[in-house]
Amino acid sequence: MTLGAMLSDVLTSFFKKNSTRRYPFEKLPAPNRLRGKLFWDPAKCTGCQLCIKDCPSNAIELIVLDKVSKRFVLRYHVDRCTYCGQCVVNCRFKCLNMSSTDWELASTRKEPFTVYYGKDADVDALLAKATAPGGSATNEG
Amino acid sequence: MNTVFPILALLIFPSGLFVLAGGLVYEWADRKLIAQLQNRIGPRWFQPLADFVKLLAKEEIIPDGVNPGLFIGLPIVALAAALTASLYVPMAGLAPAFSFQGDLVVTLYLLSMMTICIGLAGANTNDRFSLVGATRALTQLFSYEAPFLLALLGPAILAGTWNIGQINAYSQTHLWMIVVQPVGFVVALVGLMGKLELPPFDAPEAETEIVSGALTEYSGRGLALFRIGRDVELLAGLTLISAFYLGGLSNPIFFVLKTGVLLLVTAGLQSLFARLRIDQTVGLWWRIGALLALAQLLVLIVLKTLGVSL
Amino acid sequence: MTEMQPSPHPEKFIVPIGPQHPALKEPGHFEFTVDGEIVTGASIRLGYVHRGIEKATEGQNWVQNLYLLERICGICSHIHALAYCLGVEKLANVTVPPRAQAIRILFAELERIHSHLLWLGVSAHEAGFDTLFMYSWRDRETVMELLEKLSGNRVNYSANLLGGVKFDVDQEQSDAIRKGLDFLEERTHHYMKVITTDETFLGRTRNVGILTNAQAEALGAVGPTARASGVPRDLRVESPYAAYDQYPVKLVLDHRGDLEAKFVVRINELLESYRLIREILETLPAGDLTVRVPRRLPEGEAISRVEAPRGELFYFLKSNGSDKPERIKVRTPSICNFSTIAAVVIGQNLADVPMILAGIDPCFSCNDRAVTIRRSTAQDEAWSWEDLRRYGNEYYR
Repeated sequence: MTLGAMLSDVLTSFFKKNSTRRYPFEKLPAPNRLRGKLFWDPAKCTGCQLCIKDCPSNAIELIVLDKVSKRFVLRYHVDRCTYCGQCVVNCRFKCLNMSSTDWELASTRKEPFTVYYGKDADVDALLAKATAPGGSATNEG
Repeated sequence: MNTVFPILALLIFPSGLFVLAGGLVYEWADRKLIAQLQNRIGPRWFQPLADFVKLLAKEEIIPDGVNPGLFIGLPIVALAAALTASLYVPMAGLAPAFSFQGDLVVTLYLLSMMTICIGLAGANTNDRFSLVGATRALTQLFSYEAPFLLALLGPAILAGTWNIGQINAYSQTHLWMIVVQPVGFVVALVGLMGKLELPPFDAPEAETEIVSGALTEYSGRGLALFRIGRDVELLAGLTLISAFYLGGLSNPIFFVLKTGVLLLVTAGLQSLFARLRIDQTVGLWWRIGALLALAQLLVLIVLKTLGVSL
Repeated sequence: MTEMQPSPHPEKFIVPIGPQHPALKEPGHFEFTVDGEIVTGASIRLGYVHRGIEKATEGQNWVQNLYLLERICGICSHIHALAYCLGVEKLANVTVPPRAQAIRILFAELERIHSHLLWLGVSAHEAGFDTLFMYSWRDRETVMELLEKLSGNRVNYSANLLGGVKFDVDQEQSDAIRKGLDFLEERTHHYMKVITTDETFLGRTRNVGILTNAQAEALGAVGPTARASGVPRDLRVESPYAAYDQYPVKLVLDHRGDLEAKFVVRINELLESYRLIREILETLPAGDLTVRVPRRLPEGEAISRVEAPRGELFYFLKSNGSDKPERIKVRTPSICNFSTIAAVVIGQNLADVPMILAGIDPCFSCNDRAVTIRRSTAQDEAWSWEDLRRYGNEYYR
């Protein structure tokens, strides 16, 4: 029966630095496999949409501007994504990957949470169509 | 001129602003020390002040079914008692502002007023948790009060006086009482932890069992006054024990050093043990605490009668 | 000011714990009738965290459900996903490669370590022993960083795929795991010493909340709660799943049934997990990581039972041949253990009640399922969202 069985811990802690990590001044480097924000490479995409079929939270949508010439825009909802990585596994052409450095995704406005990926010309064309009167940034519009 | 000194003493030093600020500093030091012992960082220096200011700014909700006069008045009485008690102890190492024969007993009763006020505040409200907390607070009061008083009586017997200022002066010139009566020192320090409801004696305020004990229904100003009253009591209690047992407080530097060391020991004791149940607390005090204190007193009385000078 | 009415039973004093209470990490309502400090009666009411997950699974395909079911609970997320995958693989009649099964149970054991360390901290906090709480959670960071290194996330690892695992374990990670385990093993031995010798802690746990063997058997307790009362029930030993037949587990038993026994059982399980993980890392079989599972599963029913950190987890899956499940039923271990509280807590001190609650390691989020109560006289009725809202508004008026 001891009184104060944690005495050894308590005494050693008194003389050494505490274990609190002083985030945001000290950040540990994230491991390679960290599943951060999703990135899409439009060059290899064939528009099979397997990634979208299996997303558990409807976080990605493929907007087809022209299927024959493979002009696609991927709309990614950062706030809906659960960072599960199923889309990365499903893609046969390795178009998708999850960043291991971009994981501080908090924001005070809504705009950063909807990201459009694609070739610049395609994205501009889509947004122009969306902002035109009566237009919308979906497949039907 | 005669009226200026008491007013200054009440408002600025040694009671009033000095002891309020000192209480906040000691609360921060206590929390920071415990954090370091638990291998974490602890709060920043202005945390207790920020808590106090925030609580004062919040709305005070008076629950149904309480006596509003008592509800609002009890925190004020508790703080007033703690502030008054600090008039009689050698705060900051200087002589007490007011002293008279028998002020030891008065100070001890004033320090107990806080616990009685907490008990009454808990019994006042209709909340289950408050009632259980009040019962536990008063039970704990009955159990540690006797050994604590006996432990503080030891130095008084040696010094031959009931006046705190004179006991302080006696301690400065004689061998440290912690060497002469170590058992009394342990009982007094642990008794102080019981009075302040510090872990492991925080059953009356057990966060995981009865939310916040007697103070569950308090918010805003009432809670702020109770909390700062507890800090003032911490400071006054540490001053008292270091004045008696650690060789008296003769100047501010010694005051800071000695009370700091006591605070460190208290922080260590707080972090080592699990919370004692209320029946275990009572058992501990009445079986071990009281007996040890009585034994210590007996030894002292025998020594004094035999004329051994220490 | 309202008048105070005297209560109809003046000798009954009911202390409510929950739904909001610092002792509970999740909402649940307990009413304890106390007489002074001794508890004389208890009533339990759950259901505050019902999210309708079982119904939601019927609207998503088999792959999407993997991630939904993983989020039934935060600390047992991998084992839920594992049970689901085992059930789906039974329905699809595929054999998962041995390397994937081994990696699955590697994750499962790491999760068990994580869960038990978390529980140790939380129970110590309920006892007022904040120092043990802080230290055990500091050590829990080690295992969470290992899991992050392996899978990319500290909680909800998403390591399972239908038919295998997503991630492989390479040499560097294997070394990191071994190093982390060495540190954790040394700390675990220290905690074992602390909880079995510290006088104040023993005063709160020894002979408190004794659940006898007969009571545990009768009430159907599972997991470490049952094993601490001498009931030798562990699915990894009785009906090994995944790779547990190649990596056998030793059953950890204790016969005393009090809180101290529960602590001892869980810490011994930690030590057993360390041994098991080291063995898996030594002899990880080579091979593929996944096998292909078709999108539409053949019709049928499947059952999978796994050993979660809290006890036996039971999944029932029913397929009607399409790519969406017909019915998935989940029975989590905590719901079996709650009935033991009502039996154990009578005659204990009120101060011991939070410790006893924490002793069964309750996971309220796992628990809440909708139950159909069939009355012999009335028709079956289903309430819509508006009906529920109206009922709630009138109940709380």
